[in-house]
Amino acid sequence: MGQIVVGYDGSDCSRAALEAAVELAKGLGDKVVLVFGYAPPGIWGGEIAEHEEAIEEFGEKVMGEAKRLAESGNIEAEYEMVAKRGPEAVAETADERGARMIVVGSYGEAPLKGAILGSTPYKLLHISPCPVLVVPASG
Amino acid sequence: MESASVPTSGSAGATAGRAGVPSSGEKGLKKNAIGFVSSVVIGVASTAPGYSLAATLGFIAAAVALKSPAILLISFVPMFLVATGYYYMNKADPDCGTSFSWVTKAMGPQLGWITGWTIVVADVIVMANLAQIAGLYTFLLFGWDSAAASTVAVTAVGVLWIVLMTAIVLIGIELSARTQVGLLAAEIITLAIFAVVALVKVYAGSAPAASVHPSLSWLNPFSLSASEISAGMLLAVFIYWGWDTTATVNEETENPDEAPGRATVVSTLILLGIYLIVAVAAQAYAGVSDLVANQEDVLSSLGTDVFGSPLDKILIIAVLSSAAASTQTTILPTARTTLSMARAHAMPKSLGKVHPRFLTPHVSTVAMGAASVIWYVSLTLISEDILFDSLAALGLMISFYIGLTGFACAIYYRRELLRSVKNFFFVGLGPLLGGVILFYLLIKNAIELSDPANSESGNSWLGVGPPLLIAAFFLVLGVVLMVIQWKALPSFFRRRPEVAPTGFLEGEAQPETGGLAKPGGKS
Repeated sequence: MGQIVVGYDGSDCSRAALEAAVELAKGLGDKVVLVFGYAPPGIWGGEIAEHEEAIEEFGEKVMGEAKRLAESGNIEAEYEMVAKRGPEAVAETADERGARMIVVGSYGEAPLKGAILGSTPYKLLHISPCPVLVVPASG
Repeated sequence: MESASVPTSGSAGATAGRAGVPSSGEKGLKKNAIGFVSSVVIGVASTAPGYSLAATLGFIAAAVALKSPAILLISFVPMFLVATGYYYMNKADPDCGTSFSWVTKAMGPQLGWITGWTIVVADVIVMANLAQIAGLYTFLLFGWDSAAASTVAVTAVGVLWIVLMTAIVLIGIELSARTQVGLLAAEIITLAIFAVVALVKVYAGSAPAASVHPSLSWLNPFSLSASEISAGMLLAVFIYWGWDTTATVNEETENPDEAPGRATVVSTLILLGIYLIVAVAAQAYAGVSDLVANQEDVLSSLGTDVFGSPLDKILIIAVLSSAAASTQTTILPTARTTLSMARAHAMPKSLGKVHPRFLTPHVSTVAMGAASVIWYVSLTLISEDILFDSLAALGLMISFYIGLTGFACAIYYRRELLRSVKNFFFVGLGPLLGGVILFYLLIKNAIELSDPANSESGNSWLGVGPPLLIAAFFLVLGVVLMVIQWKALPSFFRRRPEVAPTGFLEGEAQPETGGLAKPGGKS
């Protein structure tokens, strides 16, 4: 059984990516693997552990919802929380699992805004070990 | 789905053991252990040496004249003593906590809450001062002196500065240790060159007439009066503020038997070294009266004299980058503290939210940015002198919460203190003494500042000096807000103080509860 890796963060565009991936998985008989990538809070102090837990709680919540959403489409689904930045998290998971392809959403931002705020699809395209499908939020 | 059935195309290099990738729910994380150089850099960068010197040296000179190096030296003592307390409290609450967690643990939720509040207020106040320096130096960088003299222009750029720094934290840009190494190295080298050039000019006789040859007596604190010491130290406490966090950084060491405080020692030496040499050089070159006359921006006026144009700009850039670094060392940790307080039900729940895209504590961050702007603008509307008075108020607040942290350590570990000589001195007496010194500073200065004549502006607010009134105002406001929160959500305030079980430090016992925020939660 092939695997389709989906970058998921609960945003509208990641939901669009999930829907596209579910459709593909149905046709191919694949499994959907949802990945929540988050860089662990860095080195600059404060209550880092608490911050991390808040992120994990948020992640578990949206990933649980996404898993149920995928499973309601009658396909197999699981999720992973990966303590790395989005693009690396998705690419490495796809590599480890020998995934058929990666599906991510795009916020549909202007390039400059994307450069300032960070654009997962852009970075992912350069490091992905497999084909990448980018789904815009409106799609 | 069995991992064995996973197709291996494209992952030929993966070993068999790697196939069992962390499954959902497993927390494969990451102690925040970092290397030696990064630990040192955090210690030094967190204190923002360039900005701290620019903001305080003139005021310290005003308080103690030629003895400012002596003040810098002895002010380090209480900070160092309390830092050992930070180190041990971090052991009880691993992975970086703050005074809020620790004081709550050791001394109960009420004092813990006030401690967290003080951290937040200190942050808001220091942002105003940072913004002021940043605004001023931005204009000086471009040689636009008329704008630098205009309160409106400086305030406008200062506000922009706060907005920008808040945005950086909001979208989650955290400087890597490597970036910070570069920035900090540039800052330290610039300050060192400045000091050396100034001293060479003093001895070569090309310094201004007011210059004085350095003397060892500058380092001798014993000729100072008690009120000179307390006033000077109150300002100098601010200069070391932030260094204490070094003790909570979990340093990665190749050899586990190695003393973990190595990075702390090195960052201390760098910091003390740079402060002393710059203070000595600055006052040797310009004399006390010049430092006092330019107390709002000592380094920019001195830089022009010592380096001449355009080299003087590098000193300005060093101070600006130092102020910029406090985005990482001031807003970011404080936003995490309010996030933690919110999650412990000690503050409104919304402050505990993380942004869905950036995963940062965005409500906390924006709230603090907004509070800083309001505070900054209203203070400058009243008078620029008041802004500098708020530095003294800041000293009072820092002494308060860092002092409490010192007490918290001795109290939390009270059953451990008599178990070994090392415990007695480093876990008990050291932090306790640090706390006592800081509280002495707090009380002594509060008494002195109750006379308006002793404040920077010389103003009288309700019959007392502005710094005392600012500090008292925020304390009262804090108590009021605490009571409101207590009534709304009493669960946090029902917590009982904890005590470290006997033998904890020797690894013989574990504390009953894990992390502070959720007793019984994952540690």
